[in-house]
Amino acid sequence: MERVLKLEGVGFRYDRLWALRGVDLEVCPGELVGILGPNGSGKSTLLKVADGICIPQKGKVLLGGRPLSGRGRRDVARQVAMVAQENHFRFSFSVMEVVLMGRFAHLGRFHFERPGDVRVAWEALEATRSSELASRSIHELSGGEKQRVLIARALAQEPRVVLLDEPTSFLDLRFKKEIFELVSSLARHKALGVVVVSHDIDLSANYCDRILLLREGRVFAEGPPADVITPGNVEAVYECPVVVDSNPATGAPRVSVL
Amino acid sequence: MKPGSGHLPCKAPLSASRVALVSAGLILILFVTILFSLWMGTADVSMGQLLNLFSGGMEAGDTTRLIVLKIRLPRVLLAGLAGFCLALGGVVFQAILGNPLADPFILGVSSGSALGAVAGIMLGLGFTVGVPLASFGGALLSIALLMAVGTRAMGMESSTILLTGVIINAFFSAVIMFFIATAADDRLHTMLFWLYGDLSQSRMSQSFIVAPAALAAFGILYGYAGHLNLVTAGEDAALQLGVDTQRLKLVCLVLVSLIIGVVVSFSGIIGFVGLMVPHLCRMAFGSDHRMLMPVSALSGAIFLILADTLSRTIISPSELPVGVITAFLGAPFFIYLLRKRGSRWNGS
Repeated sequence: MERVLKLEGVGFRYDRLWALRGVDLEVCPGELVGILGPNGSGKSTLLKVADGICIPQKGKVLLGGRPLSGRGRRDVARQVAMVAQENHFRFSFSVMEVVLMGRFAHLGRFHFERPGDVRVAWEALEATRSSELASRSIHELSGGEKQRVLIARALAQEPRVVLLDEPTSFLDLRFKKEIFELVSSLARHKALGVVVVSHDIDLSANYCDRILLLREGRVFAEGPPADVITPGNVEAVYECPVVVDSNPATGAPRVSVL
Repeated sequence: MKPGSGHLPCKAPLSASRVALVSAGLILILFVTILFSLWMGTADVSMGQLLNLFSGGMEAGDTTRLIVLKIRLPRVLLAGLAGFCLALGGVVFQAILGNPLADPFILGVSSGSALGAVAGIMLGLGFTVGVPLASFGGALLSIALLMAVGTRAMGMESSTILLTGVIINAFFSAVIMFFIATAADDRLHTMLFWLYGDLSQSRMSQSFIVAPAALAAFGILYGYAGHLNLVTAGEDAALQLGVDTQRLKLVCLVLVSLIIGVVVSFSGIIGFVGLMVPHLCRMAFGSDHRMLMPVSALSGAIFLILADTLSRTIISPSELPVGVITAFLGAPFFIYLLRKRGSRWNGS
C-alpha cells in the first residue's frame, strides 16, 4: 500500500538534548494512527518533524513518496495540515475567515479567494458539522466548537495527511468522543492519513487503527491497540502501575490506574 | 442550504472589487483633503483662485500661484506621503509582532532613523542622498537591535519586543540630545527639527524621492497581505498553513525601515500616526490586511495632511511642528488603548 507519510530513522534535537532518537513511522491513506507516551517523550516534536517545522538532524521524512526537506512551505501545506495544541487569534476573525486561511497555499498572487475556495471551505465546515458557526467570531466559540473549526481549516488545505496535537486536551467527555469520531470518519471517508497525539489512552485505543507508544524519543511499541496497550508496555512507559481490561461495549483495551 | 444548489450559502468575506471600491472612495477623499489644505493657510487664497490655478488660468508670476504651488503643495504632498508610510509601517509592524501597540515610533525605528539623519548632518552629508541614506541606516540599526535584544531562542515575545523598542527609543533620543548639545549653532536648528517632526522645510524634490519608494514598498508589501493575515493567527500556524515566516519578517522589516528611514529624514519624528490610524481602520474595516493595508495607508495620508494643516493654521501666523499635534492626539489615544485592551489584543 502507498504511504502518504513515512519517517525513516528520524533523530531530532533541540540544542543538545535529543527529543527523537531514530523514530520510524508509516501512515497509509484512510488510516488513523495514535501517538501515545508520557510528557516529554517526543510526541509533539514528532508531529513538528512530520510537518517540516522542525528539520531532523538524522534520518528523513517522505511525504507522498518525496523527501520533505527543501520543499517550500506552500508545497508542504498542500500535503500536510496540522491542528496545533494551542491557537491564539490576536485579531478578531470570523469562523469563515479562519477556515479560508486553510486555502492560503492554494491561492494566487494577491490571495483573494475564488468561489471554488469558498466552496471547499464550506464543505470543510459541513464535514466538521460547524457550518452554522460560519459568521461567528473565533473568539466567541467554546473549546469544542473551536477545535472543530480548526479541523475544518485543516481540511480546507485539502491535504493528504492531517496531524492533530492533543485535540481533546481541554474538552469534556462528550466533545472528546465527538472529536475522535470526527477524525476517524474523516480518515475513512476522505482517505486521509491521520496522526493523533493524545494523552487519552482509552479513546485512542478505541478509535485508532494503530498505536505508536513513545518513550524518551524512541518507539517503545507499535501495532494494533490490543497488542500495544498491555499492562507491561503501559507500566514501562508511564512508570505507573495499571490494570488493563477491555471496554465492555467495544472490546478495545481499557486502562485503569492503580 | 447545501453547496451546489445554485449559489453558495456563504460568499468570500472579501473581494478584490470591494477593496478597490473602498480605496477609490478614500482616494477621492484624499484629493478633497489636498484641495482643502491648499486652500487653508495664513495668506488668503479663495476657492475660485484655486480652481482657476488648476484649470491653467493663472499667470506664472502670480503671488497666489507661488504660495499654492511653491509653498503649500510640497508640504501637503510630503505630509500625505509621510502619513501613508507611517500608517503602512504601523499596520505591518502590528501584524508581524502580533501587538496592536507596535508602531515605528514606539519601537524606536523613527528615533533610530532620526539619529542616522543627525549623524549624517554632523558628518556634513548632502540632504538629497546622504542624509536619507544615513537615516535609513539608522532605521535598520534599530531594527537589528530590536531583533537581537528582543528575541530569544524560543521566538519573539511581543511584550519583550515592545519594551526593547521603548528602551531603544529612549537611548537614541538621548544620543540625539547629546549631538544637539555639542553641535555648532548653525546646525542646531536643522537637528532640533528631527526631534519634533516638522514639515515646514518640505521641498518638491523630497516628495519625488518618497513617492516612488512608498508606492514600490506598498506594492511589494501588499503582495504579502494574505501572509500577514496568517501571521496574526500565530507564527507556527502561519508556517504550517504555508507561510515562510522568516522571509516574510525579513522583507517586511527591511521595507518598512526603508520607507520610515526616508520619511523621517525629511519630516523628522512624527509619532502615533502608525498607531492610531491602523487601529481606527481595524475597528471600521476588520482585521483582513488585504483591506486594512490600502485603507490605513490612505487614511494615514489624509490624517497627516489634516494634522499638518492644523499645525500651520492653529496659531497663525506662527506654526507648530506637526509632531506636536499628533502627540497631542496620540498620547491620550495610547492610554485609552492600554486601558481598554491591555498589552494584548483580544478582538473587537
